[in-house]
Amino acid sequence: MDYILSVVTLAAINMIAVLGLSIFTGFTGLFSFGHAAFVGVGAYASAILTYYYYVPFFIALVAGAFAAAAVSLIIGVPTLRAKLRSDYFAIAILGFGEAFRVILENLEITNGARGLPGIDSFTTLPIVLVALAFSVWITRNFLKSRYGVACIAIREDPVAAEMSGVGLFRTRLLSLVLSAFLCGLSGGLMAHFLSFIQPVMFTLVQSTQLLAAVIAGGMGSITGPLFASFLFIVLPEALRVANMWRLVAYGLMLVLIMIYRPQGIMGYQELPDLFRRKISRSGTK
Amino acid sequence: MFLQTLVTGLSIGGIYALMAVGYSLVFSVLGFSNFAHGAVIMLGAYLGLALAVKLHLGIGLVLVGSIVGSGILAVMNERLAYSVLRRRKAPSLYLMISAMGCSVFLENLVYATIGSRFYAFPEFFSRQVVQFAGSSLSLLDLAAFIVAFLAILALHVFVTRTKTGIAIRAGVCDMTMCSLMGVNVDRLIMVVFLLAGAFAGVAGVFLGVKYLVYPTMGWVTNKAYIAAVIGGLGSLPGALVGGLILGVVETFVSTYVSSVMRDVFSFTLLIALLVWMPNGLFGSDTEEKV
Amino acid sequence: MAADVVRIGHTVSLTGGASMWGQSEARAIDMLVKKINDAGGVLGKKIEVVRYDNRNDAVEAVNVAKRLVSDGVVAVIGPAQSGNSIASAPVLEKASVPMVVTTATNPYVTMDQRSGKVRPFAFRPCFIDPFQGTVAARFAITDLKAKTGAILYDVGSDYGQWLAKYFEEAFVAKGGVIVAKEAFRSEELDYRAQLGKMKGLNPDVIFIPTSQKEAAMAAKQARDLGINAVLLGTDNWGSPDLIDLGGSAIDGGYFVNLADLADPDIKDFVAEYKAAFNEDPVLPNPVMAQDALLMIVDSITRANSVEGGKIAKAMETIKDLKVTSGPLTISAADHNPFNKPAVIQKVDVKNKTFQFVKKYVSVE
Repeated sequence: MDYILSVVTLAAINMIAVLGLSIFTGFTGLFSFGHAAFVGVGAYASAILTYYYYVPFFIALVAGAFAAAAVSLIIGVPTLRAKLRSDYFAIAILGFGEAFRVILENLEITNGARGLPGIDSFTTLPIVLVALAFSVWITRNFLKSRYGVACIAIREDPVAAEMSGVGLFRTRLLSLVLSAFLCGLSGGLMAHFLSFIQPVMFTLVQSTQLLAAVIAGGMGSITGPLFASFLFIVLPEALRVANMWRLVAYGLMLVLIMIYRPQGIMGYQELPDLFRRKISRSGTK
Repeated sequence: MFLQTLVTGLSIGGIYALMAVGYSLVFSVLGFSNFAHGAVIMLGAYLGLALAVKLHLGIGLVLVGSIVGSGILAVMNERLAYSVLRRRKAPSLYLMISAMGCSVFLENLVYATIGSRFYAFPEFFSRQVVQFAGSSLSLLDLAAFIVAFLAILALHVFVTRTKTGIAIRAGVCDMTMCSLMGVNVDRLIMVVFLLAGAFAGVAGVFLGVKYLVYPTMGWVTNKAYIAAVIGGLGSLPGALVGGLILGVVETFVSTYVSSVMRDVFSFTLLIALLVWMPNGLFGSDTEEKV
Repeated sequence: MAADVVRIGHTVSLTGGASMWGQSEARAIDMLVKKINDAGGVLGKKIEVVRYDNRNDAVEAVNVAKRLVSDGVVAVIGPAQSGNSIASAPVLEKASVPMVVTTATNPYVTMDQRSGKVRPFAFRPCFIDPFQGTVAARFAITDLKAKTGAILYDVGSDYGQWLAKYFEEAFVAKGGVIVAKEAFRSEELDYRAQLGKMKGLNPDVIFIPTSQKEAAMAAKQARDLGINAVLLGTDNWGSPDLIDLGGSAIDGGYFVNLADLADPDIKDFVAEYKAAFNEDPVLPNPVMAQDALLMIVDSITRANSVEGGKIAKAMETIKDLKVTSGPLTISAADHNPFNKPAVIQKVDVKNKTFQFVKKYVSVE
């Protein structure tokens, strides 16, 4: 039972990070191979606060999320202002993620590449579920606001959006900051659940897994990526598949989705939409 | 120490150049970052290892075998993962994601089947070292450097003097126009990937002989991206120059500043270049068209 | 959970760079468990080994620890690596499950770094890094007659960092001079920048407390650069593939190890292992793993209970227990053994073996 609970908790923690990335990639249309770094900032910032300075958990958690948001400005401002073309941006943020990992490995306070063990395990399933609900609420409200609508406009056609008066740089940056905030929140929860963090947990491998969930779940959808990320964590555990085969499946899946169904499971739709259509169809007979 | 650092830097740079060329070649023709290049390099190394250990072939035949094998692998990679997207004129981002998926797939497939153990090539150049002016250069490094240089020179000749080569350059400018002019685009792309794969094979074998063979060795291609960006994405001489510059600068940073922070420097350089000088030294204008 | 079985967990690297040791550990444990069970088991019950692969990855080690706890094991053997052990310790401590590592030598495996207190549920049958680093330094000064030394270590390794520290302290205390101390990033295989710096400073000996693959690379690159210093290493060099990976460059290197095949104390064990599996045990892990198992069995027997706290208390008072590597006494103060010997081995590429050179029982 304990084991099942732990798997579900981890899945829920992962869902928050995937939600964050889906704001940036799914709704604003910018692919990122570096969002695991923001998860890492949140994890390390909150862990350092509770481990060395005995800061209360919730304050540390929020601080970690804000730290991640702040760090996203470091990479976001220069690259977004330069209006890099999409794959250059993806490479740039990939480089940022890798550089971030090296920095983590060399700071004394993070205990370097050896990792930080013995973090108090404050995270419990109820806390994570509350955080997840909060994240979904923020995301939905953001997307319905004029900022969110602007993001979607940028994803569809940046040039037209710009000509309609949307500030490309400002909107993209806002989207990045919000996505980093959620990733940082996820990281803080994860650090206090695993009780142990290491820089190697926040690299390109993990960024790719987050991206895989967003793409598989579907761009422009909230429920799609949530569903996909839950599946990605729970399914391998249920089948007791070794970790390396899980990654083989991720890779294969990314390729197949790009070829056969680039819109993912729920592209541009939400789970309730599927039911609504069925009902209305049967209603108009 | 200065000369030794320079020599070491150039030998590292030679390998970077080899990797960057294959990557730049695909980028210039198809306009996307082939993240699977690293995986092909890794497979080339394993292929070479198998030839050396199981069939006891010498370094020359190992290289040839790896070149051929990696070339075929690269073409298969293109056929299976990219060709559909290319014909559909999907955005380059989709190709890039597909490439990333391929890379994860292949790397972990090797990890899950062959295993994560590190393997070494038999000693081809057994400890022969060239000494000059107080610095040492191993024969292997010298050979790698020369081969890299010759290979890139040969590629340059091919691209400028042969019919297929000129077709490739035409395709770089405008693929649609090219096909309207009667060029078989599919065959052209196949040749490009064959070449890119060949370079990957050479790089893989040299990396394997210099260091070790293991599933995640393809990640050194992160450096190839940086080298390609320095030289200018899409430029072949740029890839060579970029690789050498990166190798030398990295080694100097490692020796005189900090060896553990070396990669922070390299990636910061990458980001800075992408932001302020995206065309690198020799690249051409690559604005996304409306 | 069957009441007539005593579950003992084994967290071990069955895959990954340390797999040769890990597989040997598993075999040695199974061999000994069968003997114990045939003789009646412990407290009248049979031992059942619950084994998971930690892949020599600290994150996976934590996962494995959690899984072992939920599987209801009464004690855990392993991990073999310091980093994985330090990561697993808090998990097992929280569940009051005693952890007896096999070859993890970092002092902080049995002691919490933040509080400075001994971990109530962590124990080990092997020596610790201060001893290992000091032995290496002693050997370098007295036997290799080294006056200057350099150190190349992995900045991301608990094992390497502390060994470098202890070697440096001991080397300097005995009158040597450390001319260079260079670090490299974990997983990095090219150390020519660091070695290039050392070359000019001409050290007599270069201490490389790393895993076998990194040592092999460092050796190759050092020789290519024309460095003639003697190469000195630690127990992580001792995997059989050191020679495959390092080739002629690593010939003549020395390293500290916990056990040697030629050691008369473990003669019977080696013979038994060879008869069962048709090859030599990959030392020292299988010996240490059996030591750990015997420590657990003895503690359960003397405590007459499988309750974690009682087992741990009994383990603190282990005195002159006959284990595979000789007699073992555990210090209640730091949960480390008293007077575990260290051996120096020399790499012999021609005969593809590690030659026994010398044995140290304690340091003056």
